[in-house]
Amino acid sequence: MSHPPELPLDALVQEHRVHRSLYTDEAIFADEMNRVFGGTWTFLAHESELPAPHSFVRRKLGLRPVIVSRDRDGALHVLLNRCTHRGATVCRQDEGTARRFTCPYHNWSFDSAGALVGVPIEEGYGPGFDKAALGLGKARVASYRGFIFATLNAEMPDLVTHLGPAAQLIDEWLDRWPGATLKLQRGTHRMICLGNWKLVYDNSADGYHPGFSHMSLLRMRKDRYGAGVDMQWTIGNVDHGLQTVADVGNGHTFIDQRAEIKRYWEQAAPMPGETRYEQAIRAKLGAKADTALDVVMGSGMNLNIFPNLLIIGNQIQVIEPQRVDLTHLTWYATALEAPDLPDEVNALRMRLQEDFPSFGEPDDLANFEECQAGLSIPEMEWVLTNRHLGTGKEYIGPKGMLTGPVTDDLPLRAFWREWKRLMTSTTRLAAA
Amino acid sequence: MTPLDPGMNIALDDGFTLKDILRDSLESTYVDDAYYARLRGDLDEWQAIGTPLTEAERQRYEALILHEHWLLDRRAFERWYQLYTRQCLYWVPAAGDMPDAVRGDPQRQVTIAFDDRRRMGDRIVWLRTGVASSQLPPSYTSHLSAGFVRIATAADGEVKIRSQFIVHEMRAGHVVQTLTGWMGHVLREEDGRLKIDRKLVALLDAARSQHNMTFLL
Ligand code: FES
Ligand SMILES: [Fe+2]
Repeated sequence: MSHPPELPLDALVQEHRVHRSLYTDEAIFADEMNRVFGGTWTFLAHESELPAPHSFVRRKLGLRPVIVSRDRDGALHVLLNRCTHRGATVCRQDEGTARRFTCPYHNWSFDSAGALVGVPIEEGYGPGFDKAALGLGKARVASYRGFIFATLNAEMPDLVTHLGPAAQLIDEWLDRWPGATLKLQRGTHRMICLGNWKLVYDNSADGYHPGFSHMSLLRMRKDRYGAGVDMQWTIGNVDHGLQTVADVGNGHTFIDQRAEIKRYWEQAAPMPGETRYEQAIRAKLGAKADTALDVVMGSGMNLNIFPNLLIIGNQIQVIEPQRVDLTHLTWYATALEAPDLPDEVNALRMRLQEDFPSFGEPDDLANFEECQAGLSIPEMEWVLTNRHLGTGKEYIGPKGMLTGPVTDDLPLRAFWREWKRLMTSTTRLAAA
Repeated sequence: MTPLDPGMNIALDDGFTLKDILRDSLESTYVDDAYYARLRGDLDEWQAIGTPLTEAERQRYEALILHEHWLLDRRAFERWYQLYTRQCLYWVPAAGDMPDAVRGDPQRQVTIAFDDRRRMGDRIVWLRTGVASSQLPPSYTSHLSAGFVRIATAADGEVKIRSQFIVHEMRAGHVVQTLTGWMGHVLREEDGRLKIDRKLVALLDAARSQHNMTFLL
């Protein structure tokens, strides 16, 4: 593998600092797209995007084009989108329903489980031709409560073991309204960032930045509404507040803001439709209305599943690296559906899920782009990951997770440890 | 009040400032099921064949829309805000360039922007904080619109105007972005003046990834 010739990977990733080239070097980028994405369980899609037999969505596993599909029995498959004949992609639509993927080049066709089922003028291959050996390449696939992951690493333990405490945290995130199912396909915010993908992951558990980076949002809210609305807990010395960060294991990280939120609905950001829909929900639900209104607001959790899934507030963000210095960040809106949960809740959830993409995230992305610009300077080599490394403030917290004050760089160190492990692993990745 | 041109019926309150917006519309009271139903109806109506504007319609409707764009391009957001009614909407769907009542239904989908009067005020106050990293340096836009047509509507007292647009957006040090598509303006009279009640901006590439959409279209 290739990285800047002067320094081996151990020298680039240190406990207290990491080297700028990890964000700027094209050879490292090419390597991590293969070794990190697909070398571990990597998030691809949510089951609600695949509602029926033969549903599919087109995604990327790192830079590899893949199809996430359901076969006729509804079982999930992750198919490498590459014709076994001459290499063309066989699926060229973002989503849909298809019994067969027919390659447009010479019309080989594959069923929704990836088996090769049709070859035009097949006799031209002679008598020994074995269609069964020429199905689409496949990745291992598993899902946990609707979240679909894939890996090309046969040695990975099962998904639940790999998720560890993250599985329980996903439960807590989903079970705010017991019995509800989560639905994507409620529209997306698709954002472009001219920066390396790891700048996004770095930030996802960065409890140090909000009071500064989100000054525009905080000031707008205060000027217009006074105190008491969302995100006020990010102001001041947040290490003295109630938020924490944690190392969830295997590169997964977590910010827990829940202890700061006394009354979810009262501390929500303003959203169009608030007055009329609150009235409607109270009229319908009576005593249960407060709980229903609380699930309009974000969960107070930032749960980051290595390397690309960020479950933040009520949204699901997916990091989609394009180039060493170009990343797409897709925010899927989510609705909660349950027989006893009125649709008014989702009308409000849609509006609230536009708030941070409008007034928060753009400022983050602008800062990531400026990081990328600054990191281009060869003579300034290091990025710090040492906050609270030696302050003695870390402790074993809930679920046995190493936990620290919210500005602790503990999540960065957890990320880089897992990243380095995968980048130096000798396991050969392979399609099934 | 100093009408810009009494004949055009476009008027501005010169004294209206950011301070007035800070205290204006601090609640969101008018978005409800009926409001969303009207927006779905709009999406159906916008599909129709339009009629090129008469000279009188150009003087009255096209002039207002061109003036709206002019104010945005000048970053005169406070004056822009005054062109809208008290129950207004600035809406940029995230789906397709011809969003239909299902894919474009804002009651069930998130959008790039769904600003009732309160959120429109939030956006202006936010832009004016001067500390948004995504607006340092600020965006400057140039709107170019053509193909103004009038669309028939079942709603009493409303006028629907559809137009094609190209917007160039420039932030110092960044590449110029080009955005294109069509707009729908629903106009009606309020307090004796013609105002914008609802504006729909249908981007050609709304469903694709976008870079820093923190400016107004
Ligand atoms: S490349 Fe697919 S059929 Fe030939
Ligand atoms: Fe942030």
